[in-house]
Amino acid sequence: MDNGITFEKVSHIYQPNSPFSHLALNNASFKIEPGDFVAIIGHTGSGKSTLVQHINALLKPTTGQILIYNTKIQPETSNKNLKQLRHHVGMVFQFPENQLFEETVIKDIMFGPKNYGASDDEARTAAKEAMQMIGLESSLADKSPFDLSGGQRRRVAIAGVLAMKPEILVLDEPTAGLDPRGRTRLLDLITNLNQTQKVTIVLVTHQMEDVVDYAKKIIVMDNGRVIRFGNSQEIFGDPSWVKAHHLNLPRSAQFSLALKKNGVKFDRLALTIDQLADKVSNLVKH
Amino acid sequence: MSNIIQVKNISFKYSDQPYLFSDLSLNIEEGKWTTIIGQNGSGKSTLTRLIDGLLTLDKGKIVVDGLPVNDENINMVRNQIGIVFQNPEDQFVGATVEDDVAFGLENRQISRNVMRVKVKNSLKEVGMWDFRNRIPANLSGGQKQRVAIAGIIGLSPKIIILDEATSMLDPQGREDILGLVRKLKDEKHLTIVSITHDIDEATGADRVIVLNQGKIIKDALPEQIFSQTQFLKEIGLDIPFTEKVVEKLRKNNITVPSQYMNEEELLNWITELLSKK
Amino acid sequence: MNNFLFGRYLPGNSWIHKMSPQSKLLLTFFFVIIIFFANNPLTYGILICLILLSILMSGISLPYFLKGIQPLIWLIIFTVALQVLFASGGKVLWHWGIFSITDQSLINGGYIFIRFMLIIMISTILTLTTAPLAIADGVQTLLHPLKKIKVPVDTLALMLSIALRFVPTLMDEMTTVMNAQRSRGVDFGTGSLRQRLKSAVPLLVPLFSGAIDHAENLSVAMEARGFTDSEHRSKYRVYHWQNRDLLSAIIFLIIGILVVYFRS
Repeated sequence: MDNGITFEKVSHIYQPNSPFSHLALNNASFKIEPGDFVAIIGHTGSGKSTLVQHINALLKPTTGQILIYNTKIQPETSNKNLKQLRHHVGMVFQFPENQLFEETVIKDIMFGPKNYGASDDEARTAAKEAMQMIGLESSLADKSPFDLSGGQRRRVAIAGVLAMKPEILVLDEPTAGLDPRGRTRLLDLITNLNQTQKVTIVLVTHQMEDVVDYAKKIIVMDNGRVIRFGNSQEIFGDPSWVKAHHLNLPRSAQFSLALKKNGVKFDRLALTIDQLADKVSNLVKH
Repeated sequence: MSNIIQVKNISFKYSDQPYLFSDLSLNIEEGKWTTIIGQNGSGKSTLTRLIDGLLTLDKGKIVVDGLPVNDENINMVRNQIGIVFQNPEDQFVGATVEDDVAFGLENRQISRNVMRVKVKNSLKEVGMWDFRNRIPANLSGGQKQRVAIAGIIGLSPKIIILDEATSMLDPQGREDILGLVRKLKDEKHLTIVSITHDIDEATGADRVIVLNQGKIIKDALPEQIFSQTQFLKEIGLDIPFTEKVVEKLRKNNITVPSQYMNEEELLNWITELLSKK
Repeated sequence: MNNFLFGRYLPGNSWIHKMSPQSKLLLTFFFVIIIFFANNPLTYGILICLILLSILMSGISLPYFLKGIQPLIWLIIFTVALQVLFASGGKVLWHWGIFSITDQSLINGGYIFIRFMLIIMISTILTLTTAPLAIADGVQTLLHPLKKIKVPVDTLALMLSIALRFVPTLMDEMTTVMNAQRSRGVDFGTGSLRQRLKSAVPLLVPLFSGAIDHAENLSVAMEARGFTDSEHRSKYRVYHWQNRDLLSAIIFLIIGILVVYFRS
């Protein structure tokens, strides 16, 4: 087996047999290759968070199965065998700064590696590397995480996940609430991990610009179903489909649509700013 | 136009920190949309709290609608100002939508009959009347912010302050809330102060103030600031969409006028450029 | 955890949902007192019938209801088992070291079990059918006379209503923090007692610090929304005593009289 992520007819029902019963994931099948950068999009409540929580078995399928990192997750899989899997799948939840608890920054970052059996020294080295990677000054190591700014705390929390050296990294809206500088810095870091260390990235986001700028593939969710799986041109190239599923187009695509309406010849929608500017430049020059 | 908020030579610091503001002055014009942008820690949220009397000044004076902000006037000042805070969860006091909108009215001891009418009207104005029995756990962030706005307009204030009110929302929620505030501003002739680090939120403003480490480093019309991409980058702000496109076009050796263009202007400019060919 | 019903509110339109919170609170108290008068199969039987009737009138399915309080049933069985094992008096049925079971202790254990069950069931019906705010309002009205002796009833009621309103928020946050720490390799609920206590720290510290953040932000927001003190406020919600409240009260009263009459 490889380290891909394979979903086979996975459904998840919250609180089955109760008045709150809710089918949050409906018959999802897809395969994410090792080293991929996948964005998951869909409006609030479409099942994105439910889906990603299956990737390290925080939730187990009600029916169907998931193959991931040499592990098979089925409805009856027991929790005992999952620690190995979770070691290799890093999860960054929404507003991860809320999970910090240790007395010092470095101890908090060392927490994950130590839980997975690293020695004190190994954990400390990994933590220092993670701090450097994410741009936290080493002078912060012995400070209390509760004395840091919001942006710094976010970085400490993400460092705590990176220090475990995951081979699959799942991030649920990691840039929400960050200022522009923090946002770009974080996305560049993720891209770098993906390119240099071949870490598989699964990014849940509402920012369509980030999707087209960074992701190689896109999973579109609607009402618990995976309704499309493809690259950005396949997803956003069909604006009427995008609209019909209550998704937003990236700004550049909206802009090219408007240009098209004004009679400018656009055979293919520009999805990124670069594509848009290049397209316009070409039209001007030729 | 008169200045509905006057900040006069104020100084302020949090107890264990250096001065955040020293001798800061600033006026907000009535009926205008003023955006205050700056990075985290620039003092923009502190300024809101000083204006609403939620923090006490060390020196200087703030006047809101002719009333100096002090212990004596505090209730009257707060009747004129509604604040929508950043975290939708942490301003929702009531158990349900309806109860939350009533909270501010109850505080002013408004009679029950009047309250019922006001709650209904305000919820209808923000499009949340059908959700009146919902509990906050079953609302999205954007819906909670709508409820917060309903709670404000029920009290008919003259000023609404958006204190990073859209920063925790998804792009759709952000659009919705800004659209709603724009509509209310026009209908009720409100003064809007929006505090943000989202450059797009500033594009619709009448005036933009850039705050950095407690100092005003720019105070101008939006179009004057947005074309200064170098300056925006330096202070850690994003560049407006159209400027990004223009920047790239220039890189491709296309000559573009130097003044800022909003989306419609850029659209027309490109269309015209191509039609000449 | 997800099916756990104790303390939860289930919106609905049943007979009991529509009763005023004050009368529901009063009847719950009344019922709990009556339970202590029951002391034989007949009286307990009457009370069990009343509970079943109440569940029926609340529009919640019985199996679902029972499943929802299941975690508590185990807790009660554990308590009752201790009681049974250490009891004395009556004919000894079984004996081992310091433990002994007597016929008397078995019967007593059975009654205690039923009592606990009845108390939990009636309070679950109360919370399932009454919005948190309504409970707070009910408490406020019922405690109103205490204002005369300077008890800050309004403040207490407001505190209660805000605390209840934040329960789902904090539950959500707990789930998220638990998931986050699980991903970082924490095993909740396994290992020795010491390990379990240790694994609670990464959960409790974030929860508390989160709760403090909420409290700080909320107090600023409340002040900005014109809140000064809880005594000088008008009230949006008013509950009226209706026929259904009267009828329910009569039923409970009759049951109360029956229980007192038939106790041995």
